[in-house]
Amino acid sequence: MIRLDRLSKTFGARPALHELSLDIPQGQIFGLLGHNGAGKSTTFGMILGQVHPTAGAAYIRDISVQQHRLRALQGVGAIFETPAFYDYLSGWTNLRIFTAYTRKLPDAELMETVRFVGLEPRIHDPVRVYSHGMRQRLALAQALLPRPDIVLLDEPAEGLDPEGIHEMRHLILRLNRERGMTVLLSSHLLSEVEQVCDRIAVLNQGRMIFEGKWTDLKGDAIRYHLEADPWEKAAALIATVPALALAPERILTVAQGYDIADLVTALVQAGVKVRALEPIKQNLEELYLNLVGAPDRTIDPSKS
Amino acid sequence: MLFLTQLRFELLKLFARKRTYIGFAAFLVMEMMMLFLLNLPRTKMHMRHLIEQNGYGFDEYYSGTTLAMIILFRTSTLLGSLYLALVAGDLIAKEIEDGTMRMLLCRPVSRIRVTLLKYLACVVYTFALIFFIGVTALLAGLAFRGYGGLFISPEEGGVFSLIAPARGICLYLCAIPMLSLSMVTISSLGFLFSCCNMKPAAATTVTLSVIFLDLIFHAIPYFESIRPYFITTHLSTWMHIFETYIPWSHMMEDYSYLVGLDITCLILGSAIFLQRDLK
Repeated sequence: MIRLDRLSKTFGARPALHELSLDIPQGQIFGLLGHNGAGKSTTFGMILGQVHPTAGAAYIRDISVQQHRLRALQGVGAIFETPAFYDYLSGWTNLRIFTAYTRKLPDAELMETVRFVGLEPRIHDPVRVYSHGMRQRLALAQALLPRPDIVLLDEPAEGLDPEGIHEMRHLILRLNRERGMTVLLSSHLLSEVEQVCDRIAVLNQGRMIFEGKWTDLKGDAIRYHLEADPWEKAAALIATVPALALAPERILTVAQGYDIADLVTALVQAGVKVRALEPIKQNLEELYLNLVGAPDRTIDPSKS
Repeated sequence: MLFLTQLRFELLKLFARKRTYIGFAAFLVMEMMMLFLLNLPRTKMHMRHLIEQNGYGFDEYYSGTTLAMIILFRTSTLLGSLYLALVAGDLIAKEIEDGTMRMLLCRPVSRIRVTLLKYLACVVYTFALIFFIGVTALLAGLAFRGYGGLFISPEEGGVFSLIAPARGICLYLCAIPMLSLSMVTISSLGFLFSCCNMKPAAATTVTLSVIFLDLIFHAIPYFESIRPYFITTHLSTWMHIFETYIPWSHMMEDYSYLVGLDITCLILGSAIFLQRDLK
């Protein structure tokens, strides 16, 4: 559905994106992660034909955005980190203006989308009196008109309160499930990405350092937090098992295939009291920080 | 059809902003001030001398049309340029600065179409502003001095004319669209700089700088031989409509120059905008 082919961009002497290649199939929610200035917005800009790539190309439904932008952007909706509107006009007029650049839409279709994003009671108010959350909803409404099959969401939950973030997450999931939309999402809220995205790509200083399912970042090993008494005796026993490794703070790494119950039995038989054995669930945030914290650790996407 | 709808929305955006009306309001205030000053005894004495030394009656020719003409000539180039540059400088630059241009260009619409729509909206604004100035100046003038002949002193664009009342009003009304067409060139310059990578205020300042520099050069007597190359020379061609024998071919030449400049600004501005990265 969306294909990026060795997309590169340099602003002056500063490289913003280096040979980014991605393939996002239809119906997927794809997350683009990275620190500020990693190249996420530049990528969005190039997919929408707003930023001219230095090299490479972006394709939507196999149509080159750079060569046939108008055809490629048919059925594409987008919102940006800080959605901008004509503040002195009402939300409704803003929607009319933006959609007029695609085609003339009947009022009923507009109102249906306004209802979908929950902005109906305030849609005729001037945008300048809207809260941040309302502006985000309006931005989503304009991205959904007229019924795109691809939406690009650049930080859609930026600045929203927890309730707003929750609603936005559910709206994105609904769009994907009910309308089959392909979603390309960038967000700093890693917990959100974790909950909605099928796959992710991580950008670091303009280079992609990971692409795949976020759970792939975890690797095969399972980690536990172990509390045993006496600890020295437990540690000595663990050291004799090749499938086990101890890390600081009593973190036990267990290779795949090893049954943790065998360790508990061995410890008990050796007279060690096992006080706690808790599996450590790694979330995307930890994995992401591990990844971007070690920029040299480039992961080959084909092996993930 | 869709193009017209989009143009309607461009005009809606333009005319829904309070900033757009600064020019209209400023001109109303300025017209009142001018009329007040033109009715001061000392001012009238000067005008009386000018009219009567040519053998015509002061009361007959110091009319509402004459006052409107003075206002129109004296204010349109300088003040008109200011407000046109203010609006035209905003056209593209402000939308880029505010981020609405990015929102707009998420849509399957070409940048050339966007620039063309904005340019046309700006042309409409130019005509609206000049018509407003012209008509309100005439109405205010008629209210102050009443109906009468039109006197144009040589101080106004080098044309000397004494025209009968009905023909005077008729020519005055004909001059408004001609002046509007001239002033489109200032809007076109504003549009061009608005497409460049600069802030809206900078686009306005650069536009005004170009116009004022041109005015200064035009006023320097040593540059007499190269005056045809200055924009200002062609901008005042609308004044020829008040001459006894209207030099149509000369006016056509001037308007061709101005329209050529307008088209150049439009093409150049669009080309610059086309190359820009919006981020």
